[in-house]
Amino acid sequence: MYKYFPLINVFVLMITAFTIPIVRKKKIARELSIFSNAVILILSIFILVNVISIGDFHYKAGYPNTFFGIDWYIGSIESVLSVLFAFVSLLIVIYSYKSIEHEVPNEKIDFYYILLNLLLASLLGIIYTNDLFNSYVFIEVSTLASCGIIVIKDKKANIKATIKYLIMSTVGSGLILMAIAYIYSLTGHLNMSLIHEVIIKNYTQYPNSVLIILVLFTVGLGVKSAMFPLHGWLPDAHSSAPTPSSALLSGLVIKVYAFTLIKILYRVFSFSIVNETIILNVIILLGSCGMIFGSIMAITQKELKRMVAYSSIAQMGYVFFGIGLGTPAGVATAVFHIVGHAVTKSALFLCSGLMIEKVGSKKISDLKGIGKEMPLALVLFTLGAFSMIGIPILPGFISKWYLSLACIEINRLSLVIIILTSSILNVIYYFPIIINGFFGHENLEGKVYKSKSVSIDRMLPIIFLMTAMVLVGGFSKNILNFISTAF
Amino acid sequence: MGIVTNYFETCSIILFGVGFATLMFHRNLIKKIIGMNIMDTAVFLFFIAKGYISGKEAPIITNSYKGIEGYVNPVPTALMLTGIVVAVSTTAFALALTIKLHEKYGTIDLDEIIRMKGD
Repeated sequence: MYKYFPLINVFVLMITAFTIPIVRKKKIARELSIFSNAVILILSIFILVNVISIGDFHYKAGYPNTFFGIDWYIGSIESVLSVLFAFVSLLIVIYSYKSIEHEVPNEKIDFYYILLNLLLASLLGIIYTNDLFNSYVFIEVSTLASCGIIVIKDKKANIKATIKYLIMSTVGSGLILMAIAYIYSLTGHLNMSLIHEVIIKNYTQYPNSVLIILVLFTVGLGVKSAMFPLHGWLPDAHSSAPTPSSALLSGLVIKVYAFTLIKILYRVFSFSIVNETIILNVIILLGSCGMIFGSIMAITQKELKRMVAYSSIAQMGYVFFGIGLGTPAGVATAVFHIVGHAVTKSALFLCSGLMIEKVGSKKISDLKGIGKEMPLALVLFTLGAFSMIGIPILPGFISKWYLSLACIEINRLSLVIIILTSSILNVIYYFPIIINGFFGHENLEGKVYKSKSVSIDRMLPIIFLMTAMVLVGGFSKNILNFISTAF
Repeated sequence: MGIVTNYFETCSIILFGVGFATLMFHRNLIKKIIGMNIMDTAVFLFFIAKGYISGKEAPIITNSYKGIEGYVNPVPTALMLTGIVVAVSTTAFALALTIKLHEKYGTIDLDEIIRMKGD
């Protein structure tokens, strides 16, 4: 029975997405969206429990015993990511229930929930699928849906950011499709497992083609997941979008493409093939550049959301760094970083959105003394920032720690220095906000203690996300062990 | 020799280059979208060429079934049908955004738009 759950997940989301325009009532749209997300979370937990107790499984849609049916594979990483995505998305939708009216024009709210549901459906599809062309279709759906949730605010800056994002993503999709065409002409299959079987036997005869395929996939998916020199669209898109969208885009959407890259490098190809090419060195170089450059750019930002968005580029650098190490330990840590960063960054975005909404200014300098007015929000923000910086037991620290161990394991000590430098840079841009927030007095004349504090029910999603973050840190060993079983 | 004899592949790679360059280096948004379409079409050509076997028929039975050897591979064609749908929807969305952009900024020159300070 549980074998049908992945398909049910995607279908529930899509069907609710297309029910909303029939209903056309804002309140019902929101409730439907929350309901469907809750169903997904429950089913995903069932899938996770089943994968833990019984093991990974395939679901074949279409023609089960032929090579051209669409194959879905759910292993340990897929089940963990599906629970994570359902959980984060549910909390973001709950957060948006109260806040969306401030940011999205009233008549477009029901469209917003259509797009959110479609986006989550396509993200889950990308995670589950074991078929290259299927993942291409889901990638396109997710790109259009994520463009939609940025542009829905209907401001000048949003349209500009969206067109930038759309053009960059189309370049990426073109390259991905070209890579799929190459791999199809080489192997005659689109199913990842079957491609793997063919390619492991024949790759020595086609060294150039293998390299071209890897480069096309890396660049194509790199554009979409904001790999360092291709990140130009991210700060505009993520900072101008409505707060729930920013949280969803930064927390989940960019991660899923990095996971697709992991699938292609290590499941379609394999550790041995990929290690023979130069692609891993390129990925590790770009990842390191992203870690350093993203942090430096974050320091220079004057707007809170832009700073958090640049921090996402730096954090994606860690993910690519882990992928580029080319060892099972490195890749497992990259996946763990995806999990940890997804909960942390979405919470940080929701927190900063709440602060910006109450203060009425995007500028970091206007947030001085915010700790006196909104103590709980700033405490939660601090907790998230601590994870980004790498304070022990929080997930940010744990992924840095295991990344360093993975570097030492393959005798590349110089890479540890990059991780340390990036951590120090993180301190430089997160600490001023926290210190000025708690101890700054410049903006406080004529203001009352806790004057801007919001009701607890709006803070609850953020509190849940932060609790989840601490738990991810606390159970890091179990999660990492479980993820490692995939390799 | 391979470059001369593989017409489809060579042609599609050239088209891909043309489309890519148009998409990256033109300032006009409409031209960028045209470039995007050329790029997509190049990939469609490449993909469909992979399923074509010269001298074989399209996999539609007219008089009698000729066995597997009689027909070209239909899978790439079917896939590209989906690809075309995706490309069309992306184009439609991009054009709609261009109209919105022209409403708000009064120009479709991307460099100029990026130079402007938007709210």
